[in-house]
Amino acid sequence: MLEVLALALTVFLVILSAAYAQRFGIGKEILLAGTRALVQILILASIILILFDKPLFWSLLVLMTMAAIAGHTTYSRSGKLERGLPVTIVSIAAASFLLLIPFFLMGIFPLEARYIVPTGSILIGNAMNVSSLAIDRYKGEIKNRRSEVEAYLALGAKPELAAASCLKQGILSALIPSIDNMKNLGIVWIPGVMTGMLLGGADPIEAASIQIAIFTSIFVAGMIASSLVLHYSTDSFFTKAAQLKEDLD
Amino acid sequence: MSHVHLELKKVSKAVFRKVNNTRVRTQILGGLDLKVNKGELVTIMGASGSGKSTLLRLINRLSEIDSGIILLNSNDIRSLVPMELRRKIGMVFQVPVTFKGSVRDNLAFGMNLWGRNTGIENLSRDAGIPEELLDADAVQLSIGEKQRVCIARALANQPEVLLLDEPTSSLDAVSAQKIETLLLGLQKERDLTILWVTHEKEQVERIGGRSLILKNGRLEDYHA
Repeated sequence: MLEVLALALTVFLVILSAAYAQRFGIGKEILLAGTRALVQILILASIILILFDKPLFWSLLVLMTMAAIAGHTTYSRSGKLERGLPVTIVSIAAASFLLLIPFFLMGIFPLEARYIVPTGSILIGNAMNVSSLAIDRYKGEIKNRRSEVEAYLALGAKPELAAASCLKQGILSALIPSIDNMKNLGIVWIPGVMTGMLLGGADPIEAASIQIAIFTSIFVAGMIASSLVLHYSTDSFFTKAAQLKEDLD
Repeated sequence: MSHVHLELKKVSKAVFRKVNNTRVRTQILGGLDLKVNKGELVTIMGASGSGKSTLLRLINRLSEIDSGIILLNSNDIRSLVPMELRRKIGMVFQVPVTFKGSVRDNLAFGMNLWGRNTGIENLSRDAGIPEELLDADAVQLSIGEKQRVCIARALANQPEVLLLDEPTSSLDAVSAQKIETLLLGLQKERDLTILWVTHEKEQVERIGGRSLILKNGRLEDYHA
């Protein structure tokens, strides 16, 4: 019964916001996004339900698929950099799995699909967001600071050194929202995992502890993924003769 | 007896320019030839967009030639590691770009990169940078001061050839003449081979050397 009410509330809010936003010309877009979100989340719920009865291999396969889609999203954000797709997929997958493993090794969560898929998806989704922001900013910095990058190259610096301050700016800018969120955690907002656990009747201290562990893991996964993506993308901006490519659009 | 230090044979280069959101191919240099002797000063004039800056960029491989060959000490520059080539062929740009940090950090950049200590104090004195400016924030300097830092930074690599892309065009007349005097002094003192791109006839007259003009993608004797 609860699920019917929750879905009814969602449909009502999507239609209401789309009708209101129609005056700004984005009604259709909101309706489409809302419908997509609803359908996708129901499909995900069904997949998780199916995974409950399947071996763990299937949960990992679902996470790998998520990482591949996340990698493709970041790759598209980068303007489809040369060799960019494998770099984004591997970086996001590696960072997310690295931070997922301790939850199960330390026994915080039991090794079950119910825990693996949602926790992994949070890590993957955030690693994707941070990496997309980082690569977008990195590319923008290189384009806007072309004369500085070339001044470094003209002195004999290798491309990695010439682009180092642009890379630093890319990572810093991408992490600012996460750092701000971390600063304000529990003051301005109660994050999703803790909210979900509290709604599910969990002990507040237990919910807070798990939340902070997930939160810091999300942050670290984002930092590692974006660092890897930017580091391995640097070559795409330069030719083999260490020249900054003319057209970076 | 001077030898040919730098030689360009039949060098061609086309660039793509955006016109009404369409990339249009423009032939900038076509079969350009040039021989420069060791320690020689060559000035290159030419109209805007004639390819003067492109020519310098090709020589230190910030851009790639489409055809032809560029030789440094009779060796094809493509046979050298680009980073090592750029240490040997320094470049000073039209708009000076200083790096984050102090003037001292900027001057030490090449020294740290190549593991050579050419002496920051000597270098700054040669480039006319007052000692009290060494610890100043390089980004906050005036354009004239920044250009001096960029010249000194390029010299820190102990280059054989110095490419100057209108190094005084963004300076006032007084600063421009000071930089000219500085560069001419350094050329004599260090036996530098210099290619100096400029668009000012008066500057060509002042600094002397062999004067060329870039027209229709090729170099011609300016006085002819």
